[in-house]
Amino acid sequence: MSDWILGEFASEEKLLEAARELRAKGHAQVETYSPFPLRGASEAVGLRRSKIPALALFGGLSGATAAYLIQWFTNAVNWPINVGGRPPHSAPVFIPITFETGVLISAFFIFFGLWIILRLPQPYHPVFEVEAFRSASTDALWLSVESTNPSETEQLTNRLRGLGARQVSVVPEEP
Amino acid sequence: MQSAASADPLDPLPLIAGRQDSDSLTRIIFTPVWEKTRRGWWFLFLLGLAGTGLLTAAITVTFKEGIGSWGNNMPVAWAFGITDFVWWIGIGHAGTLISAILLLFQQKWRNSINRFAETMTLFAVMCAGMFPVLHLGRPWFAYWLVPYPNRMTIWPQFKSALPWDVVAVSTYFTVSLLFWYVGLVPDFASLRDASYSRLKRIVYGIFALGWRGSSRQWHHHKIAYLLLGGLATPLVVSVHTIVSFDFAISQLPGWHTTLFPPYFVAGAIFSGFAMVLTLIIPARRILGLEEIITLKHIDNMNKVVLATSMMVGYGYLMETFIGWYSADKYELFSVANRMFGPFAYMFWLLILCNVLAPQVFWSRKIRTNVVATWIVSILVNVGMWSERFVIVVVSLHRDFLPSSWAMYKPTWVDFGLLFGTISFFGTLFLLFLRFLPAISATETKELYKELSEEHAEATAA
Repeated sequence: MSDWILGEFASEEKLLEAARELRAKGHAQVETYSPFPLRGASEAVGLRRSKIPALALFGGLSGATAAYLIQWFTNAVNWPINVGGRPPHSAPVFIPITFETGVLISAFFIFFGLWIILRLPQPYHPVFEVEAFRSASTDALWLSVESTNPSETEQLTNRLRGLGARQVSVVPEEP
Repeated sequence: MQSAASADPLDPLPLIAGRQDSDSLTRIIFTPVWEKTRRGWWFLFLLGLAGTGLLTAAITVTFKEGIGSWGNNMPVAWAFGITDFVWWIGIGHAGTLISAILLLFQQKWRNSINRFAETMTLFAVMCAGMFPVLHLGRPWFAYWLVPYPNRMTIWPQFKSALPWDVVAVSTYFTVSLLFWYVGLVPDFASLRDASYSRLKRIVYGIFALGWRGSSRQWHHHKIAYLLLGGLATPLVVSVHTIVSFDFAISQLPGWHTTLFPPYFVAGAIFSGFAMVLTLIIPARRILGLEEIITLKHIDNMNKVVLATSMMVGYGYLMETFIGWYSADKYELFSVANRMFGPFAYMFWLLILCNVLAPQVFWSRKIRTNVVATWIVSILVNVGMWSERFVIVVVSLHRDFLPSSWAMYKPTWVDFGLLFGTISFFGTLFLLFLRFLPAISATETKELYKELSEEHAEATAA
């Protein structure tokens, strides 16, 4: 239930300044778009710390624990095998697989966690309606902000121009 | 442009040559993907396919006839198969080193070559992964290595190095693939948006997953990429350590040594950097990437090659010293047999290629000479293969009991698998160069911005 207003900016400073300005005016849904990560962009649009490190830690610990328990259960409890007189529960030889599995599961948590947090894959997004927005992934800097009614859309379009946008496009909400 | 930089030896070589902007960098990096397929590409591709045919033939014979079709015999139960496996895994390690360890150390020069090196890792690990399975003798039972509940109620024996290898190599491949893909997504989006053909837009669009480059996406992407790099760093060290355990936990003279893990890891990085150089020197020329992969990169990589060459050289020295210091007659014999036995030429070849040849890199002139670098990089690849051959075959063929000694002779199947995997690797690499950007456009643009800011600060001060 919202229109998307897109503005292209000539420089990083102007873009981030505009994002801060719009957020200060109470527009929560501000996003910047750039071909590479911009320093200070996360703060300008007010993002909180990513949860991915916590996911990675959880994945790593659970993977390592599971791997150790599987080795212990299979080789020491369920079917103990005597290999050269080594004890059935022999911690040092279980370490390589424990470590590797920890890394593997942690990587899965990071990878799938990333796409779940970002809600990707997402084939359609309103910003893709604007042909000029194609430049966002190669060389241009864009900003988007959402509005809930026509008068706000009008007002935001003007404000983006006032903040120094080189071009402004509106993606109207589908009726 | 590049020759001008060498006028003053104290002047640093540029990481990105010429005046660029995001647009020109996009063009340089994506042109190889956009332009029409060249005749030279087809020639090399068909050559690669022919070699892959040889690989298929060799694999078919191995499956049908069994390991008897290889030259392996009873003291030499491991031969080309394990030599090739360790060689390929080692080559893969440079990719992870460049992309992960240099990422953590914030080395700027990694940004233009990391994609290249990571891709090399993936393909090298694919080649490596074939050998243990082929070597099983009954490869259709490969799944027995996985702990699944079964009617016989038996489990894999986790105290053996073989299951360690399986877990290490498959984890390594998977993590490298995820890391590579996470880095590629923004480039897929860039290709989707910058390509003109509808088909390209659709195909690259699918792989881009709807990436928009929003601050929110970068916010999480950056940390995910860094963490995957952080995981890959201990992983790369652990993988080759585990590979070296295959040897080190046995009791064979020449294998039973604590030196193996660090010495294997150094050798892996050494051979991997050599392979990156072997591939990147022709590719940067043919694809017109000389402004982004500059002589500075080649210079730096050569320094790594020189440093790791000294490390493996130290390893050879220590192996010899410990052989003598152990005062164990089997160890002493194994050292002597390496140097003067029937395979002595392999040992001296490895000393020549791995220790002596890279010494030319003390000279800056040779480090920045692409032809000389390319020749040395090939020698290092050959030398590292010989090193693994010496470790595997020469240690095995004369062990404790002279009555069980034997000579080793490879068959055409052994050579077919070696050259077949090299061709398969080359074919995959050609496909990569044709369809994917060989250089990360995102990271190059970021690097260019950082370098311009540094330059601006330096001139202002």
